[in-house]
Amino acid sequence: MHDDKISRQTIADPRSRYGNAKASTRHFITQRLTGVSNIVFLLLLLFVVVRLAGEDRAEMVATIGSAWIGLPLALLLGIVTIHMRNGMRDILEDYFRGSAYGLYMTLNTLFCLFIAVAGIGAILKLVFWG
Amino acid sequence: MAMSIVHRATGIANYAGTALLVLWLVAAAWGEGPLDSINALYGSWFGQLVLFGYTWSLTHHMLGGIRHYVWDFILGMEAGQREMLSWANLAASTALTLAIWTLFVWIK
Repeated sequence: MHDDKISRQTIADPRSRYGNAKASTRHFITQRLTGVSNIVFLLLLLFVVVRLAGEDRAEMVATIGSAWIGLPLALLLGIVTIHMRNGMRDILEDYFRGSAYGLYMTLNTLFCLFIAVAGIGAILKLVFWG
Repeated sequence: MAMSIVHRATGIANYAGTALLVLWLVAAAWGEGPLDSINALYGSWFGQLVLFGYTWSLTHHMLGGIRHYVWDFILGMEAGQREMLSWANLAASTALTLAIWTLFVWIK
């Protein structure tokens, strides 16, 4: 799909089936759903950061280590990384095609996966092992 | 029109900014030493400047996202309304960021 030469005519013609018909709808819905979740995440993040900015480790463990705060934070951070990957896909689709798109998309996925694993791992460590 | 590119730019900034959040969480999980280093870095004038920008980027992108939900219901799409929403978005994100920093950082 991304190897095709995309011209103005291709985009304007409904019969050209420009874009990925099934996946694009899913990306649209995913971005809307994860976006709503991110608003909740920002409120929780504001609470956590205001409470813990500059505090020592004992305070971090006391707040994030509480399962009622830590587990939702971990879940929401995971959803944030889905939104990150999806949003970056929108940008990459606009500027790259073919193998370049594939390469950057792979890097995008790896970065978001790394962020998710490191962040959720750190939070779970604080919750379960202090 | 310009706000579309700003939504994209703040999205990219937030994409990178998440790394700052995760770095803080990992440092806290790691130990007292790494956490002290991160706190010193984030507490420096440059760190505070970046975090202030990150706060604005997050609030602006959130409000811009809400604008997209409004548009999903075919509201606010007319000429004039679009521009009004853009300016409201910019004003609200700036006001929110200043309110957050005033309330929780500067007078805390």
